[in-house]
Amino acid sequence: MLDLSPFRRAFEALPAAAQTGERRKALDAFLTAGFPSTELEEWKYTNLAALAALPEAALQPEAELASATGHGDALDALNAAFAGGVTELRIPAKTRREEPIRPSDRAHQRHRLHLERGSEATMILNTSGDGVFETIFADIELEAGAQLHLIRLNDAGADSHRITRINLRLSRDACCDVVTVDLGGRLSRHDLNVDLAEPGAAIHLHGLYAPTGDGHVDNHTRIEHRAPHCISREQYRGIARDKARGVFNGMIRVHKDAQKTDSEQRIANLILSPGAEINAKPELEIYADDVKCAHGATFGQLDDEALFYLRSRGLPESTARALLTWTFAHEVLQHIRLEDVRSRVTKRLLRQLPNTEQLEALQ
Amino acid sequence: MLDIKNLHARIDGKDILKGIDLRIGAGEVHAIMGPNGSGKSTLSKLLAGHDDYTITQGTVSFDGADLLELNPEERAAKGIFLGFQYPVEIPGVSNMVFLKAALNAQRKIRGEKELDAADFLSWVKHRVKQMQMNPAMLSRGVNEGFSGGEKKRNEILQMLVLEPKLMVLDETDSGLDIDALKIVADGINLMRSKERSVLLVTHYQRLLDYVKPDFVHVLAEGRIVKTGGPELALELEEKGYGWIQQAA
Repeated sequence: MLDLSPFRRAFEALPAAAQTGERRKALDAFLTAGFPSTELEEWKYTNLAALAALPEAALQPEAELASATGHGDALDALNAAFAGGVTELRIPAKTRREEPIRPSDRAHQRHRLHLERGSEATMILNTSGDGVFETIFADIELEAGAQLHLIRLNDAGADSHRITRINLRLSRDACCDVVTVDLGGRLSRHDLNVDLAEPGAAIHLHGLYAPTGDGHVDNHTRIEHRAPHCISREQYRGIARDKARGVFNGMIRVHKDAQKTDSEQRIANLILSPGAEINAKPELEIYADDVKCAHGATFGQLDDEALFYLRSRGLPESTARALLTWTFAHEVLQHIRLEDVRSRVTKRLLRQLPNTEQLEALQ
Repeated sequence: MLDIKNLHARIDGKDILKGIDLRIGAGEVHAIMGPNGSGKSTLSKLLAGHDDYTITQGTVSFDGADLLELNPEERAAKGIFLGFQYPVEIPGVSNMVFLKAALNAQRKIRGEKELDAADFLSWVKHRVKQMQMNPAMLSRGVNEGFSGGEKKRNEILQMLVLEPKLMVLDETDSGLDIDALKIVADGINLMRSKERSVLLVTHYQRLLDYVKPDFVHVLAEGRIVKTGGPELALELEEKGYGWIQQAA
C-alpha cells in the first residue's frame, strides 16, 4: 500500500481555520481510496505513485477557503481537499464577456463555470505555475446557445506534476472550442469529459502534447454524444522526443438516441527520438445507426522532402527540423484565439528546439 | 563554374545516371531536355544535395570546391539554387519568415552580416513586384493553398531573393499558362548576368523561346547523348526523342 501520509501532513500543516470539516472529509475519502491503480484500463500507462514520493512541502494545499463543495472519486476528492473549495462564476444570459476569464495561478484550483443561455466567454486554465504539484478540476455548463473558448495550458518546468480534469456539459446548440497544450513537465494527467446533452451541441477539441526529457503526458478525452444532431471535432497531436512518453486516449461514445451524429477524430504523432514513445488510442462506441463518424491516426517522423526543400534554401538541418516540428504543432496552436497565449506557447515550443534563432518571427 | 565528370548515381540499387559529363561556364544558360525517366530530375536534385542517391563514380566541382562533400545548406550558401518541380507546402510559416530565415541562414554561413527586418522588407518587396505577385502573399504560408502556377512563380521569387550563382530549374515551366510562363521567364532573365549561370531542365521547348539557351543537351537513359545550340530544342520539339536515342 502506497504511503499517502505526506498529503495528510501537508493538509494538517494548514491553519486550523482552513481545515474545515468538508475539506477533511474530502481528504479522508482520498486517503482511503488512494491513487487509481494501473490495473485499471484508464490508468494503464500512467502511474501516479510518483506523487506520493514528492516531499510534503511540494504539495501546497491552499490556505484560503473558497465556497464549500462536494466531491466524487479519489482524485476529485484530493483536489477538493487541497483547493479549499470551489470558485464559482456565472455568465448572465445573452451577454458577452469580453475580458477572458484568467483565474489566479493558485496551485490547486476548483472551478464551476456556468454560461447562461446565449452567453459568450473565454477561459484559460493554466497550470504553468512554479508549483511542483498542481491540480485543476473544473465543471463547466453551457446552457442553450452559449459559446465558450476554453484554453488549458501547461508549460511548467521539468519537475512539474499536474492533474487536471474538465467536465463540460453542453445544452441545445451550445458550442465550445477547446485548445489544450502541454509542453514539458515531469508527469501529468489530463482528463477532458464532454457531454453533448441536447440536440445541436458542438464541441471542437484541439490538443497538443509535447513531452521532453523523461517527461510523461497523458491526455484522456471522452465525448458522449447523447442527443441527435450534435457535432464533435477532435484533433490531438503528440510530439515526443528524448525518452519522453505521451499517451492519448480518445473515447467517443454515440448513444442509442444520438442519430445524425457528426463526429470526427484525427490523431497525429511525431516521434523525434528513437527512445521516445507515444501510445495513442481512439475508442469508438456507436449505438446509433444513422451517424457519420470518421477517425484516423498517423505516427511518423518529419517529411524528408520538406526537410530537403528547406535545407536547399539554406536553412541548417536542425533549424529545418525545428521549423517543420513547429508547423506540425501550428495545426493545433492556430486555434488559440488569444494572441498573447499563442505567442507565449510558440516561444516556449521553439525554445525546446535547437537552432531556432532565425525562426523568432514565427507565431 | 560547374564541372561534372563521369557522374554515376543510383537509387534503390538502380543505376539512374550512367556517366554524365557537363561543364557550365559563368554566364551560360544550358538546357537539359529528355524523355521521362531519363534522369533529369535526379541530376537536379543531386546537384542540390538530395541524399536519396548514392554516387558510385565521378566528380562534381563547383567554383573549385568538391560539391559532393557539401550538405544542401552549404551548397545553397555557395550559390546553388534548385527550383523544385513540386515545391513543398509549409503551412503556418509565412513566406516572409521563411525567406528572411533562408537568406540570413545563407549569409551567416558565408560570414556576411544578417539583414534586419526593415532591410529585408525592402529587399523582398521590390522582388515581389518584379514577379507581379500580390505583396499580401508574403504573410501567407509558404505555398499553402497555392495553385501549381503560383508555386512555380514563388520558386522564382525565392530565387530572386536568394540571388544564387547557379540556378537549376527542374521543370519550372510545367503546369504554367502562357502569362505565367512569361513572368517566370522574365524572372529568370532578370537574374542572367556574366557571373550567373542557369541550368534549365525541361520537357518542352516553349520556355526556351523566352529564355534563350547557349547550349541544349539531350539526356537519355542516364547519359548526355547529344549537345547542340538552341536549334536542337526546335528539332526535338518537332521530331521527339526517338531519333536521337536510336542514333545513340
